Amino acid sequence: MTADDRAVARYATEAMDDGDLQVLRRLAVIVDRVDPVPAGLVDRIGLALTIDALHTEMAELRMIGTPELALRSDEASIEAVTITFTTDVLTVMITVHAEADRVRVDGWAAPAGELAVELHQGGRIVRVTSDADGRFSFSDLGRGPARLVLRRPEQPDVPVVTPQIEL
Amino acid sequence: MMSDDLVEPVASELRHQGESLVDKAAHAVVSYREGDRAPLAQLVEVLTPLLWHTVRAQGAEHEQAQDVVQGVWLALIRDIDSIRDPRATLQWMLVTAKRAAWRAVRKSRDDLARAELDEHATDWLAAPSEDRPDVVAVRDEQDRILWDHVRALPDRCRSLLGLVALVDRPDYSVVSRALGMPVGSIGPTRGRCLAKLRLALVADPAWGAR
Repeated sequence: MTADDRAVARYATEAMDDGDLQVLRRLAVIVDRVDPVPAGLVDRIGLALTIDALHTEMAELRMIGTPELALRSDEASIEAVTITFTTDVLTVMITVHAEADRVRVDGWAAPAGELAVELHQGGRIVRVTSDADGRFSFSDLGRGPARLVLRRPEQPDVPVVTPQIEL
Repeated sequence: MMSDDLVEPVASELRHQGESLVDKAAHAVVSYREGDRAPLAQLVEVLTPLLWHTVRAQGAEHEQAQDVVQGVWLALIRDIDSIRDPRATLQWMLVTAKRAAWRAVRKSRDDLARAELDEHATDWLAAPSEDRPDVVAVRDEQDRILWDHVRALPDRCRSLLGLVALVDRPDYSVVSRALGMPVGSIGPTRGRCLAKLRLALVADPAWGAR
């Protein structure tokens, strides 16, 4: 055992002190800077978990219309895109209005009725209730992948989930 | 609905901030089973960085590491009803992440047996070298000195310190165990890896100099 080894062995058995904690805190910052968690990873995981959790009980809506239109986020100013989703129990039509980096979604579901409507975007969930005619809207949303989860009053435990759309 | 022992009667932001990751993970699992998904969503935010660096430390490349981390969370949800001891959740997730990363790395190395892939497939924890992106990312002089000494440590020490740095003291032992390091290798005593690093820093006249 060299003198260095002995010094390490002795120092290793001492209690941690503030100096150790400072070094570790500094190291944590470096680690995050050198190899940052990819942007959006946490959001994508949140969305995947939500969908996975709902999957056993969900009726996936089929999209009719032109989904690729909704993917066009390169338009400079204002877009309005209408997408219709349909299942056996519900038809949902939404119009997506984008202005700069904010998005508004207006929707209408049939058969009419007061539905609980959730918009899942990343880890965030915004909840609204449709009016008696089945109309609902979300305003001031950010851009990015999102999906709607709708719960009908007669079967709230069986949500209807839309495919992911790019707002 | 939350069980009595987990329910916090008053606003408890501060108490939750002081909780270890072990506590947070246990709370998230129990709440989730009882229908409250919010604590799990919060856990995804606080725990994903540690999982990310755990997976990267095994040498998984960028895309692959993202898939592995997401897979660990999905596996948790699928098995959530069968977890017997919720306080073992963190350990389980770290070990799952590590093993899944091994498998992914081995598979990609088998698939594409090219020497240069190995260079790209390693990261700062797995294999240091002179022309890595970290050299660009660390500009502060003191950070640079610390980083150089960390990189000079043996692989296992580099991984251990890099991951332990990301958690608070109560979670040190879980992180060490998940990495296969002996229990008590760091905290409450300094342990060999941290001792080596501190002594190297003390011996460096540039460290702490202004």
